[in-house]
Amino acid sequence: MSTTANKPFQRFGKLSSFPPPDRWDDWEELDSKSWPRQVKKNYRLVPTVCFNCEAACGLLAYIDKETGKIRKLEGHPLHPASRGRNCAKGPATIGQVTNPERVLYPMKRKGPRGSGEWERITWDEALNDLAPRIRKAIQENRKDEVVYHVGRPGEDLFTERVLSAWGVDGHNSHTNVCSSGARTGYMYWMGMDRPAPDYSNARFILMMSAHLESGHYFNPNAQRIMEAKERGAKIAVIDTRLSNTASKADYWMAPWPGTETAMLLAMANHLIQNDLFNFDFVRKWVNWDELLADREYLKSLHDTGFISEMPKGDTFEDFIALMKDMYKAYTPEFAEEETGVKAQMIIDVANEIARAGTAFSSNVWRNASAGHRGGWMIARALFFLNVLMGAVGTPGSMLPNSWVKFVPAPFNEPHQNVKFWNENHFPREFPLANFEMGFLLPHILKHKNKKLDVYFTRVLNPVWTFPDGFSWIEMLQDEEKVGVHAALAPTWNESAQYADYVLPMGLGPERHDLHSYETHAAQWIGFRQPVLRVQKEKDGQRIEFTYEANPGEVWEENEFWIELSWRIDPDGSMGIRQYFESPYRPGEKVTIEEYYRWIFENSVPGLPEAAAKEGLTPMEYMRKYGSFQITDDVYSQHEKPIGEEILKEASVVAPKTEDKGYSEAAATAEEPSTVASSDSEAEPGVWVKTPPPKTNLRPYPGPFKNKNGEVRVGVVVDGKPVQGFPTPSGKLEFFSSTLRDWGWPEYAVPIYPRNKEERAKMPHIITQVHPDHIDWDNQEYILLPTFRLPTLIHSRTNGAKWLYEIAHSNPIWLNPVDARKMGVKTGDLLKISTVSGYFVDKVWVTDGIRTGVIACSHHLGRWRLHEDKGSDRWNSSVVKLEKEGSKWKMKMVHGVQPWKSEDPDSERIWWKDAGVHQNIIHLVQPDPISGMHCWHQKVKAELPGANDQYGDIQVDTEKAHEVYHEWLKLTRPAPKEHGMRRPYWMMRPLKPHPDYYKLDQ
Amino acid sequence: MLKELELVDSNQSSSVKWGKVIDQDKCIGCHACSTACKSENEVPLSVNRTYVKQVEVGIFPEVSRHFQVTRCNQCEDAPCVPVCPVTAMFKRPDGIVDFDRDVCIGCKACMTACPYDAIHISPSSNSAEKCNFCAHRIDQGMEPACVVVCPEEAIIVGNLNDPESEVSQIISRQKVDVRKPEKGTNPKVFYKGANEATLSPTAAQYTGMHMWSEQNEGYPVEEVEASFNSIAAARVAYDVPHKPYWDWRVSLYSWTKSIAAGVFLIYVLLGLFGHELESVWTTTTAVIGGFFLALTGLLLISKLSHPERFYRIFTRPQWKSWLVRGAFIIAGYTLVLVLLFAAGLTSNQALAKALWWPGVVLAILTAIYTAFLFAQSKGRDLWQNPVLPVHLFVQSVMTGAASFIILSWFISLPADALQIVNITLIVSVAAHVALILSEMVIPHMTADAEKAAHNMIKGRFRGYFWTGLIAGGLIPLLLGFASIYGITALLALIGVLAYEHAYVQAGQSVPLS
Repeated sequence: MSTTANKPFQRFGKLSSFPPPDRWDDWEELDSKSWPRQVKKNYRLVPTVCFNCEAACGLLAYIDKETGKIRKLEGHPLHPASRGRNCAKGPATIGQVTNPERVLYPMKRKGPRGSGEWERITWDEALNDLAPRIRKAIQENRKDEVVYHVGRPGEDLFTERVLSAWGVDGHNSHTNVCSSGARTGYMYWMGMDRPAPDYSNARFILMMSAHLESGHYFNPNAQRIMEAKERGAKIAVIDTRLSNTASKADYWMAPWPGTETAMLLAMANHLIQNDLFNFDFVRKWVNWDELLADREYLKSLHDTGFISEMPKGDTFEDFIALMKDMYKAYTPEFAEEETGVKAQMIIDVANEIARAGTAFSSNVWRNASAGHRGGWMIARALFFLNVLMGAVGTPGSMLPNSWVKFVPAPFNEPHQNVKFWNENHFPREFPLANFEMGFLLPHILKHKNKKLDVYFTRVLNPVWTFPDGFSWIEMLQDEEKVGVHAALAPTWNESAQYADYVLPMGLGPERHDLHSYETHAAQWIGFRQPVLRVQKEKDGQRIEFTYEANPGEVWEENEFWIELSWRIDPDGSMGIRQYFESPYRPGEKVTIEEYYRWIFENSVPGLPEAAAKEGLTPMEYMRKYGSFQITDDVYSQHEKPIGEEILKEASVVAPKTEDKGYSEAAATAEEPSTVASSDSEAEPGVWVKTPPPKTNLRPYPGPFKNKNGEVRVGVVVDGKPVQGFPTPSGKLEFFSSTLRDWGWPEYAVPIYPRNKEERAKMPHIITQVHPDHIDWDNQEYILLPTFRLPTLIHSRTNGAKWLYEIAHSNPIWLNPVDARKMGVKTGDLLKISTVSGYFVDKVWVTDGIRTGVIACSHHLGRWRLHEDKGSDRWNSSVVKLEKEGSKWKMKMVHGVQPWKSEDPDSERIWWKDAGVHQNIIHLVQPDPISGMHCWHQKVKAELPGANDQYGDIQVDTEKAHEVYHEWLKLTRPAPKEHGMRRPYWMMRPLKPHPDYYKLDQ
Repeated sequence: MLKELELVDSNQSSSVKWGKVIDQDKCIGCHACSTACKSENEVPLSVNRTYVKQVEVGIFPEVSRHFQVTRCNQCEDAPCVPVCPVTAMFKRPDGIVDFDRDVCIGCKACMTACPYDAIHISPSSNSAEKCNFCAHRIDQGMEPACVVVCPEEAIIVGNLNDPESEVSQIISRQKVDVRKPEKGTNPKVFYKGANEATLSPTAAQYTGMHMWSEQNEGYPVEEVEASFNSIAAARVAYDVPHKPYWDWRVSLYSWTKSIAAGVFLIYVLLGLFGHELESVWTTTTAVIGGFFLALTGLLLISKLSHPERFYRIFTRPQWKSWLVRGAFIIAGYTLVLVLLFAAGLTSNQALAKALWWPGVVLAILTAIYTAFLFAQSKGRDLWQNPVLPVHLFVQSVMTGAASFIILSWFISLPADALQIVNITLIVSVAAHVALILSEMVIPHMTADAEKAAHNMIKGRFRGYFWTGLIAGGLIPLLLGFASIYGITALLALIGVLAYEHAYVQAGQSVPLS
């Protein structure tokens, strides 16, 4: 019998991709460097997970038994998402592990912040300084002064649980420079805020993303997109810049950036007017009844001219008539004029969507939704197409991420333990902000005169990645504003240069993490492991802390947090310690092994059984295989019936307008209803007093409660109690009562202004770089900075020498027409300015970009202040900074240079360019609704002056701060009548206790 | 343990012929194969066994970017194998073209022979290395590293002799291309869905930099117009640095060799015309020939990246290589010159005379074998020139005559003998000029040869070329008619060196991949 353990991974020509797992502990392989002499090397293979992007693909570490070091990292054949295959960044991880530039020991600054003087310290010294500070802040109820600011978490739950245990509202993230725009658009439809396209089974794929080269989740998604294409699916890509993905697409649409909503609504209109949409799905699953019931709202649509007549009744036919009326203005010709994309292509793509039916897959994650004011409406308009086709949750469609994510519960969990509201992260100006306003932090602290006591940055490099980096430098250098800054980082980064502590944390193969991502139509967990520790433990060595096995004293956060928490509350009097006590040895400190062991033994359905089948404990199973698929029964969760057990206790209320036009058909076609008759006042839904305990701790909206305080567990559709969607209505919300009630009624339905006048009236969903706002005659351009390179990942690939050999320049993309106009050619310099500053970079003339738009990648332009510290020499320039008042200047001293190190490759560096740091001149532009930073910048592009040199940068942070205040003017605080900071049902990391949502708190 | 895994016993079964299909329709240009290869084979920075060339084609908004996984083609008739003097580059029975870095002497002949520029000198081993299909993995029944990593399964490996294999089926049923089929190399790497703009190395324009990286070409690529067969523009968006492998030392060695051979030819010529020269001329011919031959040898050895291994040309010769044949010719000719030296010292005219014909044969071969070596450089179209042996012979006579004229300033030469030398010089210069002019006038057979000729005549190497033609050809010809032979001789020597340098460098100036 073949078990997983001896499964041969055979493909082409009967060759194997990987050794079978039962050989992983003792694998002999021929050495490539000795070849053709047959020299055998002995390895132990340990699975882990890549940490070079969010996709978290499986890796298999080959540990040389002779040297005890990792020789290479290949893919992990049993990983459900990556299936043994990787992108360039997977194998390149080994370069980061062996990087002679990496930080190997905890360091404390000696001179002033940024002086580049460091001394090596012990982990104990760092812990013993940080713990009492945090303890004191918590005791003094300064719970917004202890902040963990995370870029890539790379894990589920662990750190949030730590913060929750501390009771601080101290989670800050990068999400508002990343995905908040798209998330918001999805959230107002389905409550859940992430798309999980089932590409494999799609007949047509519409991407506003570059999933064949980057993005959430590049490699797993790219595999499945091409699978679909091979089977005949067609692909359309909306992207102003020619990405590799756009290049592979059957249809490439390159609109004026930010106008995408117009095009998407035109597609919707085509489907609606030609009755090409899925009537039955829309009837059952869209909250049209709520819209038709709100006569006042309909009247406002009528008053603004978006509908020409008031609906006569409240039937589904009335809704169809309303849609036909409302969207008729969004013709393909209108869209062509607004977006610059040919009307015929818009029709062609709409017809492809209609042909694909429920197997229509779409996606936006960053792209335009991350670029523009109203970017969230672009996502909302995109998902509208899925809703119209009923392509939600079906095979080949777009699945809500929560259905394909599994977060198992640890041994105990602090519940509603955060009794504080962090006004710095969720300021009252942004009641609907999808995530923390993390990128505004320096401005908020300045504006509101606040400070931080202990600031952890983790895989976060705001000085470099976030807009307006000089304001970050000012904040990080100000000891009044930031008491102590500890940078938890696997690599050097620009922000860590200004830290008080640089605490080296492991790369992918050097740490524990547990995670689950919505890569495809299945729920799975991945287990990242410190492979050298695993190897040593298998050899019988006792390892207390991971840093004993890693290179130098590189540690991992999770053990660090346990140690830190223990020292914050050594006697348990603060109630923190209980969360860090072993479930197996009462009262004693939990080990990292025990933490995961308990989860694997108790919280992952099917795992103990699968392990038993192979004669392993659950922990041994996960150590051996590094991942586990929980289920692939993930489709159409909204239609899943509510279990009998729950129904017994539940009050079931059918909607009042359970559709009149169709109710007869429904009644005959389906089983007799078990629904109790509804009284006219009761809210529709399936309600229970105590909901069943959660087994899957994925982020999930809600709870939704009725007047009686009962919790909704489902909705009644066509007479059947089913799960529905976690939205206020339980359905997909064409009409968002949340937007209506929280100050933004004009944007409660998918909408876009139809002319210049309307654009002026609806600035909140009009991009800041709309052609209306660009003075073409004054050399103004739209700067498009929102894209990734296939080989790099923001700050994090520092030290991956092979990746920087492939990509080390970030020129300004310029259309040949604009190049001729300006009289420049590839390689010439241009000076790009915003109102606060400028950078000087070289030009790449390309037809891969629209005229009037320039593009620049943020992946290059790394810099360091000192020759041997601050950023890695493989890929950064040495710069000189000057400051006069609020005016900053950066000058490049030199580019990349070869140097002598223990890696002979450092002397073989042949490139000199490290690129130019562009984000540092960007203005902060918070979307007034989603809170997303609107990345696209209005810039002026001009020939450099005589004294301007490549890499020159200047910024005035006072001017940048003025722009922050200008954008604040567009916001609308929460309506007073709620007395609440934010709708409670909306997701929020570290959701505080409900009492702390109250504005008077 | 390994035995069990040897599912495919490739070395002992001639029924296996490994090949690959690279499916560019599936390839997304992610560079995973590039880094997986660097990792598996510990390939140093600055060189690559495989990379993903990218070319952007079209005019907004009708634009696309094309990818091409570029690497050794595992040619069935691999030009790198017969040219290797020491069998460091070899073809296995299963078709894999493999290499042995411990054997390689670093002569770079394989690199110049490869029409795909797929071989490099590794800075860590100083030996020629390239993709070998991860032979060490194949022999263990494992897929090559690039095949394992590819997210799209776009690199497909299999047995070309097995009609059931995926590669055979794709090759049989779908439209596939190989790179440069006209080279007759019979590649075993097949491309599905590749674009002309990437397949043809000169189709796309180099603009001074790449999309995300510096352009670091040793070729004068920007001076040549791209020849994409479309109205749409084609720009190279990603490429790795390429450079010519034979530098000034090859031009110089060709020149010293020419002199070394030439002096003997003139020496015999005068003898044939009945000029029994004094034995000082016999000695001088041997010394001058020997000196320049020694220089030739030193230059040859100095350009090896493993100079300490040069002797392997003699201890493990691979007879198909013109490098080996040349080495033995030179050795034989050295022997002749040694004997001639002895004959000169001992005034043994009989011995000197006995050396005439074997010496002439070896001197001519010494002068012209480089033409055959160049012809083994399949990628270098300019050098695929059937008149090249003749031209090298002419140059040799020319440099020999020039040397005799200069020597006659120090050692007296009878006037009528000198006259013969003068006439020989003028005739050979005339022939040299005629051959150069024919190179300029007669159209070249291939676009690459045309481009190389362009680079030589009008492009980066025009300075050397025109120095060679005017200073080393036309002016001497005019001076010769005016019977001014001294300057003529000097100019002819300088001219041949300049021309040779232009020819060697321009020959290597066209991108191959």
